[in-house]
Amino acid sequence: MKKILVIDDEEIIRKSFQKILTPEGFEVKLASSGHEGISSLQKESFGVVLLDLKMPDMDGMDVLKEIKENWPETKVIIVTGYSTPEAKEEALRLGASDHIDKPFIPDILTERVRKAFNND
Amino acid sequence: MKNLFRNPKESIAAKLIIATGLLIVILSLIFWYAIFLKQQKDVMSIAVEYGNSFTDFIKRSTRHSMLSLHTSTIQKTLEDIDTAEGVERIRIYSHTGSIFYSSNKKDVGNSVNKASIACTGCHDNIRSPGLLPEPKKWEVYKSAEGVTSLKLIDTIGNEPSCYTAACHVHPENQKILGFVEADISLALLDKTLFRQGLALTAYVLIFVVAISLFLGIINYKIVTHPVNELAKGMEEVAKGDLGYSAKINSVDEIGMLAKRFNAMLKDLKAAKDQRILWTETLEKEIAKKTEEIQRTQAGLMQTEKLASLGRMSAGIAHEINNPLTGVVTYAHLLKKRFPEGSPEAEDLDVIIEQAERCSKIIKNLQTFARASAPEKEEIDVNRILQQTLSMIRNQEKFHNIKFITSFEKGELRILGVTNQLQQVFLNMLINASDAMHEKGSVTVATRRINEKGDPFVEIEFTDTGVGIKETDLPKLFEPFFTTKPQDKGTGLGLSVSHGIIKHLGGQIKVRSRPGKGASFFVMLPAAGEKA
Repeated sequence: MKKILVIDDEEIIRKSFQKILTPEGFEVKLASSGHEGISSLQKESFGVVLLDLKMPDMDGMDVLKEIKENWPETKVIIVTGYSTPEAKEEALRLGASDHIDKPFIPDILTERVRKAFNND
Repeated sequence: MKNLFRNPKESIAAKLIIATGLLIVILSLIFWYAIFLKQQKDVMSIAVEYGNSFTDFIKRSTRHSMLSLHTSTIQKTLEDIDTAEGVERIRIYSHTGSIFYSSNKKDVGNSVNKASIACTGCHDNIRSPGLLPEPKKWEVYKSAEGVTSLKLIDTIGNEPSCYTAACHVHPENQKILGFVEADISLALLDKTLFRQGLALTAYVLIFVVAISLFLGIINYKIVTHPVNELAKGMEEVAKGDLGYSAKINSVDEIGMLAKRFNAMLKDLKAAKDQRILWTETLEKEIAKKTEEIQRTQAGLMQTEKLASLGRMSAGIAHEINNPLTGVVTYAHLLKKRFPEGSPEAEDLDVIIEQAERCSKIIKNLQTFARASAPEKEEIDVNRILQQTLSMIRNQEKFHNIKFITSFEKGELRILGVTNQLQQVFLNMLINASDAMHEKGSVTVATRRINEKGDPFVEIEFTDTGVGIKETDLPKLFEPFFTTKPQDKGTGLGLSVSHGIIKHLGGQIKVRSRPGKGASFFVMLPAAGEKA
């Protein structure tokens, strides 16, 4: 089973990820903050992490750094509502494998996630 | 001329004329009186001389009758002589004062008044008959009618023919036999003297008036008029007219004063013109600087506006894109439950479409804000320096300047804005050129350095100019501080450069060797990972 961890502070977004990806055959776990996401990763391993950059407790970039440091095998896709080219560049430099702008079309999300798993 | 006598207290000329006039009047009066006295004395001595001749004539006319003692003839002779004009009375009396003969018959037999000069002329005391050493033989007196007369007395001395005469009237030892006395009127002489006095007075008056008038005119010409002219000049100056010139051509003290006054006015006018010019220049300079400040301020405000627009659009993007994600995702999920082409699926497409439209609007807003505000980018310092140098080499200002370049190999990447950095470098090169009066050499070098453990890029600009005074160093980066001539520097170059470099996380350092040159080191954090 391909496991995905969604880290986003907004419940609606987390649930929409679940609703889109679960029917596609992925196991989707949800975390509402950076810290929660990290502790989930410590408990079990995930193939792909969908990560929001702007969260109240911990900056997405720092979460990204920690994930890549501790779980370099895990693919991270950044999903943001706002982003500058610099931020995108920075994220890719820090090891993110892809970047998706909010709002997204569900089919495109599925395709990008599948691609991340396939490149493994 | 009319000012001359308006008020003696206020007029130098009047004071001078009054003083001189008074002096002339007093001197003239003394002169007049002296002349008058002298004339009187001269006339009197002539009168006395003629009078003496007259008494002598009487003596001679009566001599024969005396010797022959013809008393009636003597009396008749005296009466005849008395008829001549001016002769008032003739008497002959003895040394004791007994009148023997007189042109006025009533007098005969009487004695002369002992208080009269007939006695007092020779005797100081009638009772003890001592003779005076200088007998007085004439006197001038005024009659009861106010007529001035001259009384003359002549002695009749004893002679052999007298004491040997047949009548034997006089003894031989008697020295003086008697006296002849004549009273002559001086009325005519008085009249003449009075007329002469009048004429003299008239001469003196005319002289005084003429001298005063002459002095007045001279005074007006050489004192009053030039002084008035100067006073007028000073009034004009007080009113603010510095173009006035006192029209006085004399070479005396007042002329010198006027000359100096005119020269002073000229100097004052030149100083005033200079001041006006300076004020204008200053105003222009202030206007220029104000405009510069306003422009800078406007630029800063524009930058600030765009920056806040950028911040706002980022916030909006984040806040709105999340709910839009919900809308789009759920609409898609819902759409999947309806068959393709069904009215429900079509309605959901509209929802998705509209939500995406919102997202696009936000994206456009972000793009606009980002495009307008200068964006930092990774740039190569070496490349920008090369560009700047090739840009200025053709400019006249740098024709006589030799550039010595020593660039660190490879790319020296920093995070910045190309045209801002170009502005900083250009500024450094212009300052170097100005410090060397556009002649000398400038060393431009780049190198990688380590500043407190972080990698930095350093750009050095060293000139061979005059250097910077130690006292100027602390003020170097202050806005509007400049040592350049007015038309060259605004004093903004270094302060703006400092602002740009500081904004990029760098700094500018200065090293000066007064008289030999100055070095500016621009240090910027190197782009890439921190060490």
